[in-house]
Amino acid sequence: MNARRYGAAGTWLVAGLSGLSVGAILLLFVFLASAGLAPFWPAPVDRLQLQDGHVLLGEIVAADAAGSPDAVAIRTSEQERMGSAYQRVRLRDIAARSQPADAIVITLVDGRRLYGRDGAEGAAALLATAASPADVLEVLQPNTLGALARCAVFFSHLAHFLATPPAASNLIGGVLPALLGTLTLVLLMSLIVMPFGIATAIYLHRRRGFAARCVRIAINQLAGVPSIVYGVIGLGLFVHGLGGGIDRLFYADRLPVPTFGGGGLLWAALTLALLTLPVVVVSVEEGLARIPGSLREGSLALGATHDEALWTLLLPAARPALLTGLILAVARAAGAVAPLMLVGVVKLAPALPVDGVFPYLHPSREFMHLGFTIYDAALASADAIRGVPRAYACAGLLVGVVIVLNLTAILLRNRLRDRYRTLET
Amino acid sequence: MSGNPATYASVLSADFIRTSTRSRRRRGRVVSAVVSFCTAIVLLGLLAIPLFLLVGLHPRTPLPAETWRHLEVLFAGTVRAGLCGVLVALPFGIATAMFSAHFCAPRLRTWIKPTLEILEAVPTVVLGLIAAATLAPWLKVHVASVLVLIVVVPLALLAAGMAFGTQVRNEGWLPLWLLPLLIAVIALVLTLAGRQSASAIVPASPWNAALIGLALGVASIPMVFSLSEDALFLVPRAHTDAAFALGATRWQALTTVLLPAAGSGLVAAGLLGFSRCLGETMIVLMASGNTPIGGIDPLSGLRSISAELALGMPEASPQGDVWRGLLLAALLLLLLTLCVSALADVVRERLHRRLSAAAHAA
Repeated sequence: MNARRYGAAGTWLVAGLSGLSVGAILLLFVFLASAGLAPFWPAPVDRLQLQDGHVLLGEIVAADAAGSPDAVAIRTSEQERMGSAYQRVRLRDIAARSQPADAIVITLVDGRRLYGRDGAEGAAALLATAASPADVLEVLQPNTLGALARCAVFFSHLAHFLATPPAASNLIGGVLPALLGTLTLVLLMSLIVMPFGIATAIYLHRRRGFAARCVRIAINQLAGVPSIVYGVIGLGLFVHGLGGGIDRLFYADRLPVPTFGGGGLLWAALTLALLTLPVVVVSVEEGLARIPGSLREGSLALGATHDEALWTLLLPAARPALLTGLILAVARAAGAVAPLMLVGVVKLAPALPVDGVFPYLHPSREFMHLGFTIYDAALASADAIRGVPRAYACAGLLVGVVIVLNLTAILLRNRLRDRYRTLET
Repeated sequence: MSGNPATYASVLSADFIRTSTRSRRRRGRVVSAVVSFCTAIVLLGLLAIPLFLLVGLHPRTPLPAETWRHLEVLFAGTVRAGLCGVLVALPFGIATAMFSAHFCAPRLRTWIKPTLEILEAVPTVVLGLIAAATLAPWLKVHVASVLVLIVVVPLALLAAGMAFGTQVRNEGWLPLWLLPLLIAVIALVLTLAGRQSASAIVPASPWNAALIGLALGVASIPMVFSLSEDALFLVPRAHTDAAFALGATRWQALTTVLLPAAGSGLVAAGLLGFSRCLGETMIVLMASGNTPIGGIDPLSGLRSISAELALGMPEASPQGDVWRGLLLAALLLLLLTLCVSALADVVRERLHRRLSAAAHAA
């Protein structure tokens, strides 16, 4: 009886810990979704009447500022420059707090916000104090918006975030260049890694000799190498070695200004290709191994050579595995930020890596990246109250992209499995 | 493409008959050559990693003594962060794996596994952001509450299991029933201890090794989970079935049959999780404060090798002493992670050998 009891206690401990970890993970996702989408939601305008007679009108930005529940931070009209009008108000100094229906928020193109009320202090009067009407980005009356109107504002903010370039040293505006940079980088990386990954997988699938064993060991061991070490290799070998060599050979007239000898899109793509190679090789080889041997033997019996069997039969049949490998590699590459910091990601790039000028793709240019924007907005920005929500918005976007990619890979894998189950019977 | 790949018309097309054997052979040789060439480039690229670090370090002049001292601090910081991370990841990862492999209802398992797989795909920069911006201010005032939780939660689970566990027939859905209980316990502890907690233990810095450990642990739970679950599934079903036939409960089958058989696999999972924690960059870079402090205090800041590389490498000029010091640090990190994962491989090899021997005996 006692043994049963101890056993039950142990079971409960194990079950409780696993419930706790899964629950914490779900909580993490919920938090990420809400924190990532919250910055686009129109915030209400508060009016604080202080004990000493002052009146503050603005947005409450941190209801419970880190560990001091007795104070709030309020963001009021920024007359001169962005971030100049945060105020900390102790709760016991507040005499009355309300959300007046006629409060208006004017967002200017330089990121400043002006708060006022309709009537005597209307939009025109408010603008006259600090800016010209040409600088207005948006005028809102957030406290009276209905649910539908709120949603409309939310989606217009989201569209603005996705489709415009950043402004004010990456504190406001959209993330279009970072999104484009991430996508271009990942695309270029896929173009490099897929041929090599597939060739290596075919080699490993066919050969069993000493050389094949060396390749396999190298790939297995290097799958666990920290990503930052790949960044070091990318900087030392690709940027300084290859890039410096190209510069000395072809662009000697421009030296010492580097063309390929500085960080850039091409070197970042090569570094990520090296980083994701093991993923591609393992998944393609697994896909090739899953194909029933009878299929290959059948085609050989019909007179095909080994290579013809490979090209016409095995590789097409393994296409879902190739796709799975590609998607996993892309997901891993989209999330790798540390190596990029060494090989050419920048806070603000002067030009996009893709544009309408020949040759359209500029592999030597520095680029922006969503992951690096998260790091930069959260830590390096001077304005944490604005930077952290922006970082969360980028994080939500990045996680969304990566999760969609991974779910696609999982679905593909399941389809592949089902298909060969039908093939075997 | 659609349908069964076995019915491809191209296999039987006249192409095979019309083309002469010689040109087909030649084409085959070209394909083989291309495949071997690409593989050679891949191997070269992979071998370039250790070779480059060794060649770049080639001692022209000895490094100054302060570089070595700094390296020592960095090494200590890396190991401290890694240990904190694995201390969080091990209990949660292995408990989840044990539950999922041995107790779990199949329908619940189809939810647990994808959840953890998706967590593995979340970029670590996002976890670093959560740790630095949201968790750090909270943890700064709640260190004591967390310590209390570490003691209270397992005790509460054990006590509840002792009291009511024998009445539960089917453990398959237990985590769902326990979750409300756990949330209640945690909320109770936080409200009771929350007031006093702020002044009870004040960490030296809000960005400290404990915070890093929490974030690193969450990041490596999926890896520890999937490796340990695989190890548990490697044990043949016949072994546990035999234990059940002899009258063992599920828990007894786990502790007397499964764990001894799969133990080395679990150790390997822990080692690989540790190796991952050692090399993680973004979390440590964002949430450690990057202060080069040695020692073993889990509540003070640290600076790891990976963060040093990410911060210092872009500014260092090649061929300088700083550059060589950073290369040395990178080599140290590479060797450290390779050693730990090689150790894990050796341990795992033992598991496979023992299990295959058992299969032969059966």
